[in-house]
Amino acid sequence: MGLVDRGRLPKPLTTLFNMGRSYSMWVYQWGLACCAIEMGAAFGSPRYDVMRLGVIPLPASPRQADLVVISGTVTDKMAPAIKRLYEQMPEPKYVISMGSCANCGGPYWDSYSVTKGVDQIIPVDVYVPGCPPRPEALLEGIVLLQQRIKNEDMGARWRGEGTVPMSAVDGESAERGGVPVVAG
Amino acid sequence: MTLIGDRQQLSYIAAQAADARVNVELETEGMTLNIGPQHPATHGTLRIIARLDGEQVVWAEPSAGYMHRGYEKLTEVRTFPQVTALVNRIDWLGSFANEVPFILAAEKLMGVEATPRAQHIRTILFELSRIANVSLFLGDLGVQLGAVTPVFFAFRDREYVLNLIEAATGGRFHPNFDRIGGLKDDLPAGFIDETRSVMKKLRNFCDEIENLLFGNEIFQSRTRGIGVIPKEVALQYGLSGANLRASGVDWDLRRDQKIAMAWDKADWKVITHPDGDSFARCWVRLQEVRESTRIVDQLLDTIPGGPVMVKVPKIIKVPEGEAWVSTENPLGEMGYYVVSKNDQGPFRVKIRSASFNNISIVPWLLKGVYVPDIITILASLYFILGDIDR
Amino acid sequence: MGVFPLSPADTTEAPRDERRETELGAILGALGGNVADSLLKPNDDIWVRVTTESWRSSIETIRSLGYAYFCFLSAIDWMPSPFGKGENDPTQPAPERDNSIVQGYTGGATRFQLLVRLVMPGSTSGVNIKCDVPDDSMTVESLVPVFAGANWHERETWEMFGINFAGHPDLRHMYLPQDFEGFPLRKDFPLLARIVKPWPGIVDVEPLPGDENEEESEQS
Repeated sequence: MGLVDRGRLPKPLTTLFNMGRSYSMWVYQWGLACCAIEMGAAFGSPRYDVMRLGVIPLPASPRQADLVVISGTVTDKMAPAIKRLYEQMPEPKYVISMGSCANCGGPYWDSYSVTKGVDQIIPVDVYVPGCPPRPEALLEGIVLLQQRIKNEDMGARWRGEGTVPMSAVDGESAERGGVPVVAG
Repeated sequence: MTLIGDRQQLSYIAAQAADARVNVELETEGMTLNIGPQHPATHGTLRIIARLDGEQVVWAEPSAGYMHRGYEKLTEVRTFPQVTALVNRIDWLGSFANEVPFILAAEKLMGVEATPRAQHIRTILFELSRIANVSLFLGDLGVQLGAVTPVFFAFRDREYVLNLIEAATGGRFHPNFDRIGGLKDDLPAGFIDETRSVMKKLRNFCDEIENLLFGNEIFQSRTRGIGVIPKEVALQYGLSGANLRASGVDWDLRRDQKIAMAWDKADWKVITHPDGDSFARCWVRLQEVRESTRIVDQLLDTIPGGPVMVKVPKIIKVPEGEAWVSTENPLGEMGYYVVSKNDQGPFRVKIRSASFNNISIVPWLLKGVYVPDIITILASLYFILGDIDR
Repeated sequence: MGVFPLSPADTTEAPRDERRETELGAILGALGGNVADSLLKPNDDIWVRVTTESWRSSIETIRSLGYAYFCFLSAIDWMPSPFGKGENDPTQPAPERDNSIVQGYTGGATRFQLLVRLVMPGSTSGVNIKCDVPDDSMTVESLVPVFAGANWHERETWEMFGINFAGHPDLRHMYLPQDFEGFPLRKDFPLLARIVKPWPGIVDVEPLPGDENEEESEQS
């Protein structure tokens, strides 16, 4: 993938790569609290069936995962473990923060033991609000992330220029590239 | 005091003797196994540190606190109505059941009692949340023992119950529906018929799980005789709920306690099992889901008329006093010791959660078992992290 | 010591609870001089406060009366919080508060009190047992030799209140990281988020992004 490193990739090839990446996402589930059950319902239940979106839940380890869903309350005791496992994931990696607790502390905004938002530890791509969000909301978050991946310039990402959006495929999602997205 | 039960100790000694015969030359080496805090085999974020001798556990210690959110401190800076929104999230699978004992304690201090209709609907929702909780346990049990199918069944049928709870309260997970003096709202139209049909589905689900899992030879050999808790030890550690009843203690707060709920208006049985092993605990839970569906069915027939809310002041001030109320929650006895100082918020709330006591027996219970049995025992004790750590 | 009516307004006839009266009588008889105070609320519960020195032996005695189920152990900090409910604007001077320590049922003399609930298995006959924690040493006897289940509860109480338990096998942090400082459930432990930032409930409702037009029209 030397081409990608230099950032000289023809546009059709980028589109092809991005499409491949967005529809074969291995999700590492970081179930922490109440949201973990809704995430389980989204990923493991017949009604919501996440695999139709090209998302594969339950990889054996974070080292095989592209996406991690942090669902639930992040405590100060848990935070180092999250950081450590996030660092073990291979690039390119994405994070969905699910639920109010992971977004900002939620109902525990004044607690002495809760980290007020997982974005203090690791960068977040999509925030899914709710306490807990419905499984459909998580699925929407995944769809938004896929739109974002489709508009991504891998060369820029690998050169360390952040996630700069490529030229718009559709106007709305291109605007959203680069900054975190809030689902819902 | 003997800390290892006779049966466990004998099996440990026998296994060691067998190992010694086989491995005359192979010296086993001590090893520390760390499971968790985030591990596919554990339930939630409980971390278990086990010291192994070969494949046997000689010492094990759960390390809790990865989900400690400080409820007891936060209740001190919330008002009484706000606290229910908070305590909802302790046992997140059966949320409504968490609100009830707290509201009952506050009502006891204020000297109000909910209307009969409110008590009735409370009981129905309480049992629905028990079904939502334990049905997921039955599915999850399979996953932890290596059978993936039951969890799909559980998630399928649990959705029906969640739909009911959502229809009645507006929240799938965290209803926050209980109020001091009654309920926020009455039941929606069509709720009773819908609930009847869902209860039928749930009974089918119980049959399915019983055939799929409980009749399975592998399941039986992995759970029978594993993790035996004698009655005396269970009482010492303050185990409650199905874990206690599976050790042969005939005690159910729903039946034995005089409380402003409607359990006494239905005809149902308290399920016990004499064995005290993992199988007994799972079996008792399965039967309790069946009994819950029966309770709900009967209560639906006899909902009294009238309002669902008594008159309470708009700004709730709870008089000075102390009150303890506990109920038989899906996980076991859940109680609140509420101290009020004639203020809008509680002065101190001690939350007695079932899983905390249930899991405190784990260091004792895991001594001498084999590594795969760790998961069986933890699965059968059934805990929810929010309920341990609070 | 004695039977209190349900509420002061009950002028007719104080409700009687003969079952609990017998139970309390049995407990008081067995404990003898170790009882500092006791309270019975009819159709509600029993409270007994025992002396600090006799803490473990009293629990053992009550257990031998049949209260073999260990429900929970915790503590209460009776000092009013110096921060109130944390609902005041931190930029304003703190309002005057009554900071006197007033204990609850069965009285007491110290800021911290231990609280244990024991229940008779198979029934709902329970008893709440309290005991003063000496302010200077902050140490009481551990209950682990009596109830093995007290182990985790005492660890939690030690972590949350800083009460030491003499004879406890393993007093370590349970919930919080090992380097955590302070005892969170003490009333003088501040919730920093509430101190650095005003409680959102007292902030005026902020205009939403789509509301500019309405605001202008209101002003005009």
